[in-house]
Amino acid sequence: MSEPLLDVVDLHVGFRIFEGYLSVLNGVQLSVGVGERVGLVGETGCGKTTTVKSILRVLPMPPAKVTDGQILYRGQDVLRMRRRRVQALRRHELSAIFQDPLQSLNPVFTIGTQLRDIVKDSAIGQGRRLPRRVIEARCIEALRETGMPDPERIMTNYPIQLSGGMRQRVCIAQALSTHAKLLLADEPTTNLDVTIQDQILRKLDELVDEHGSSVVMITHSMGVVRDLTQRANTMYAGSIVETGETKQLLEGPKHPYTQGLMASVPKLTGEGISEGIPGRIPNYLDPPPGCRFHPRCVHRMEACSAELPSLFEIGGGHRAACYLYGGEA
Amino acid sequence: MVAFIGKRLFQSLFVLFGLSLLIFFIARVMPGDPARAALGFLATEEQVERLREEMHLNDPFPVQYYYWLRDLMHGDLGRSSYTRRPVTMDLVQYIPATFELILFATLISAIIGQVTGVLAGYFRNSWFDGLSRLVSYLGIATPSFVVAIFLLFVFSQVLKLAPGVGRLPIMMTPPARVTGFMTVDSLLAGRPDIALTALKHMILPAISLAVIHIAQEGRITRTSIVENMQKDYITVHRVHGIRTSRLVFKYLLKPSIIPTVTVMGLDFAFLMSNAFLVEMVYMWPGFSRYAVTAMLNKDLNAIVAVVLVIGLTFAMVNLLVDIITMFLDPTIRLRTGGS
Repeated sequence: MSEPLLDVVDLHVGFRIFEGYLSVLNGVQLSVGVGERVGLVGETGCGKTTTVKSILRVLPMPPAKVTDGQILYRGQDVLRMRRRRVQALRRHELSAIFQDPLQSLNPVFTIGTQLRDIVKDSAIGQGRRLPRRVIEARCIEALRETGMPDPERIMTNYPIQLSGGMRQRVCIAQALSTHAKLLLADEPTTNLDVTIQDQILRKLDELVDEHGSSVVMITHSMGVVRDLTQRANTMYAGSIVETGETKQLLEGPKHPYTQGLMASVPKLTGEGISEGIPGRIPNYLDPPPGCRFHPRCVHRMEACSAELPSLFEIGGGHRAACYLYGGEA
Repeated sequence: MVAFIGKRLFQSLFVLFGLSLLIFFIARVMPGDPARAALGFLATEEQVERLREEMHLNDPFPVQYYYWLRDLMHGDLGRSSYTRRPVTMDLVQYIPATFELILFATLISAIIGQVTGVLAGYFRNSWFDGLSRLVSYLGIATPSFVVAIFLLFVFSQVLKLAPGVGRLPIMMTPPARVTGFMTVDSLLAGRPDIALTALKHMILPAISLAVIHIAQEGRITRTSIVENMQKDYITVHRVHGIRTSRLVFKYLLKPSIIPTVTVMGLDFAFLMSNAFLVEMVYMWPGFSRYAVTAMLNKDLNAIVAVVLVIGLTFAMVNLLVDIITMFLDPTIRLRTGGS
């Protein structure tokens, strides 16, 4: 692996709510190299978005609370940074695209206003005050890059005047307008039409290539992982259960959960609907001890409920957090 | 846009017509004899009868309404039985005084209410939020005349920081009357010194009127700030490194202020009729005081005029609120087909 840009180490995040304490992230390990594209897959509610928000430090605290771990960006811990420094990171280094483009744009401001302020504040953060003309040109360029027709007109539109696909292009333009080094894409196409999904992802892929950014791509789709990422991670109930090169993971999944996930992908050959994985994601108020997957796992053994397995090396950087592959099972 | 305003104006006309009918009939069915009330108990029965005839009081109601409406169109609302002057003249004299005062009060409550609301919402559950909540509840619970007396006593009598009652000191000659707004008239007359004095005289009564509205509007803004802070787009703005002042006072405030604007409009119209206790305390020659005096004296023509003015104020303020809301919220603007 190349030099790490982002290194999430043993991250524990929980939420204090009325009913008690939700222990959501349970030791997340995630590492992204410079220029690398990393996939993160897992079912709804496994903590992917919480991980992204922790990295950007936009989790509302309270109720959220980071109880343990580090988020190292170029070796510096984001969690312990001063506010000012975090702001600078958000302006020039990190960027994100979220799941729902319909909710991601402020409804009472034009696309232009929102985009201009991002470019303006990003430049101010670097101690430069850009002339209006330059800002305008940069915004239009950012919109044009996403394949948006007539960007000059789009600048004067309000979000409700645009379709979901257009709005997601706007979100991508916003995210890429500051030439971020690391892009966190949190299911950027989940809420879009299938035909648009593909277009958007292709565009995103192209743009990331041009800008040379690193990407964390969060998705439900194995196809997206296969096409767009070099390394992949499977997440289950708040921890990474398997990590490796995308090829290794897709062709030879080792963790029983990844295996189940792969088996759940509907086949084009039409062998009927898969069974999926029986059971459901645990209740975070009272998660099962040890490996959180053990109640649903066909291979479970005694050790599984005793202690959370660490990521055991399988070979060639492929690692799985399962006692089938190491530990005193 | 223009079509929208035209349509709303047209609707307001209907509302006002309904209002005029309602007022007219209520005024007519009220017990007591306006002619007798106007002439006093010493007048003879013939004199009263003659006035009754003159006031068309012996005609059937629809005829009476016709006469009344016709006169109204000519700006003739009859004669006040209490001030012995044409009601229109009274209105022209008293309305601007109250209008100036409550405009100032509304300005104060808009600024202070919004700032505290935004800060309390943004720093939710902080000491500032707690303090502003406590002060708000006190503000809502305290009648405005109590605040008026308290402020007058403390700032004018004890600390001597503010002038006392009235619109200007007795020694000062008011400027020539153009708009009826003391500050504006002074400036028009080229006397900024009088304008400043007039402004100082407005501060205490305006604050007394504003307190309850600062409290209410602040609370409403706080609630909607808290709600909007959880919106995804605010997270997105933060992720993109928008600076905090811009985030709060631009991106968060604009969507949050919409419900408050509606309440502000209602508050303004409400003050038109409910400022009288404060006007009493500050001896403010205003409309509210005139209204109450009219009611206490069963001054029929004046009461009718007062209710009409209040109705008109509500209708106009609502129209204004609709227009402002339309500017703030593109969803409404685009749906009504404006540009």
